[in-house]
Amino acid sequence: MSKGEFAIIGTGEVPCGNYPERSEFEIAYTVARQAIQDAGIDKNDIGAVLCAQHIMSNPDNDYNTEMVFGRLPEAIGAKGCKVTCMTSSGGASSFSLRKTAEGILHSGETDTVLVVHAQRFSTFTPNEQAKYFSIAGSDVEWEVPYGMTYNALAAMITQAYMNITGTTIEQIAAVCVANRKWAMLQPNAMFNQKEITVEKVLNARMVSYPLTTLMCNVLGDGGSAFIMTTAEKARKVCDKPVYILGEASDYSHRTITRAGMRDFATMAEYLAPIAKRAFERSGLGPEDMDIFQIYGSYPCIQLIIMDALGLWEPGTTGALVASGETSPGGKYPVTTNGEALSFGHTGTGVGIALLVESVRQLQGKAGKAQVEGARFIIENTGGGAFMDCHFTVLGNQIPG
Amino acid sequence: MKKHEPISIETIKAMMNLTDEDLKKPLPKPTKWSQPFWDAAKEHRLVLRKCSKCGFIDHPPYLYCTNCHSDEHQWIEASGKGTLFAYAINYFGVPFPFWADLPYVLGMVDLPEGPRMISNIVECDFDKLANGMELEVVFDDVSEEITLPKWRPVKK
Ligand SMILES: [Zn+2]
Repeated sequence: MSKGEFAIIGTGEVPCGNYPERSEFEIAYTVARQAIQDAGIDKNDIGAVLCAQHIMSNPDNDYNTEMVFGRLPEAIGAKGCKVTCMTSSGGASSFSLRKTAEGILHSGETDTVLVVHAQRFSTFTPNEQAKYFSIAGSDVEWEVPYGMTYNALAAMITQAYMNITGTTIEQIAAVCVANRKWAMLQPNAMFNQKEITVEKVLNARMVSYPLTTLMCNVLGDGGSAFIMTTAEKARKVCDKPVYILGEASDYSHRTITRAGMRDFATMAEYLAPIAKRAFERSGLGPEDMDIFQIYGSYPCIQLIIMDALGLWEPGTTGALVASGETSPGGKYPVTTNGEALSFGHTGTGVGIALLVESVRQLQGKAGKAQVEGARFIIENTGGGAFMDCHFTVLGNQIPG
Repeated sequence: MKKHEPISIETIKAMMNLTDEDLKKPLPKPTKWSQPFWDAAKEHRLVLRKCSKCGFIDHPPYLYCTNCHSDEHQWIEASGKGTLFAYAINYFGVPFPFWADLPYVLGMVDLPEGPRMISNIVECDFDKLANGMELEVVFDDVSEEITLPKWRPVKK
């Protein structure tokens, strides 16, 4: 991919939360139409329809089977559709879907791709959800028999990170507070009604020491969509295309014990070259970024990703967040949709939600959360038990 | 930190409408390439898969050496010693079969042979847990077939 070769021109999103009456199909059809309308294109211009995987399946009417077998182009009447498929890499799906879209656009078969995510958790019983998530983040043979959980994994990383960097639990809690402040400005966020304080985060029920309930993300029903085109087409049909300026990736492991980084003190050292490559490809640096859309799903992971950007001394980002500089009105806006912790975690859509918010920010459509004059954003995503990391630099202009 | 009363397993069982089957602990299902590990664990021995060609120790093990793709290997006896790299203490929100064990400790254990393992840290005062502490393996016979290696602090 060369710099600014592809662009995102429209987005759609439904509120995240508990909506058992809203089916995953209804979500998909809704966000698809929103994205088409937002982009201002004809639905028949769409030449490819890509879907993100739905977490867990409904035996009567399985969304994944339906989408893999072409339900969506038919349901939205995409008469020009030539390609449809499902792509998934868990929480990193926004990236793998976008790479798939880039490949299809590269093939020349079409110049317009629709990407859709939909998820409904609330119709599955707590036991079904607990069972699924006990095996999603942990190794079935080597970890699950010990009572391992996603939260415990994040707790261990947090415990090690605090021990090594001297970051305090109050600073970890401050990340949750900052995320919530952003979510308060987001109409689609799951938790946008009540501010939280460091004290409240620390006094919440202990889940997995040192993490309390308010330091752990909450699953929510939701979905979003975006339309990706070539830059050439984008300029013809859209006033403010959002260009993909630079991307970089790395895969590390499935089982956390086999992670490339043995010592979380050097986690930033492992992640930093990925961010650096993305910046280099964009021709920009971290100091040029107006917003930092950091996906961690846990507060400590957000800090570790921030540590890797090359803008702040690793280990000092907890203090930066606690100072309020990453909150609304601060010098460094971080994760303007409130992140998985306050926006809600929609499964494979968690990164898509952040990408969609990035596009809204760069198109000036972010409402109350709008960062005035935002031109460039660094965004990251990752999946599994922190198996991979992808950085993307986005912009509403192509730097020279 | 605020103390919250634990929720009893009976309460959870009634609230979530759980059966006894739902409360059965998940056990490892050994694969062709991990069976020797579990066979040894049953004999209270900790073994690791070492490649005979390049010497790499794979844990978890796979079908062939992940470093050089050789099939040739031997199962070596581990020292049974380890150090604690990081830990977490689960208090809430665990899979229901583990509810009765709350609170319990999970740790990342570094073996001098190279691999890192996730396991429970047992026979330990929570206040004494510390990164870098020395551990030794203990064996928990959880069923007829399966024994789980766990770790406890080395008594000074
Ligand atoms: Zn080998």
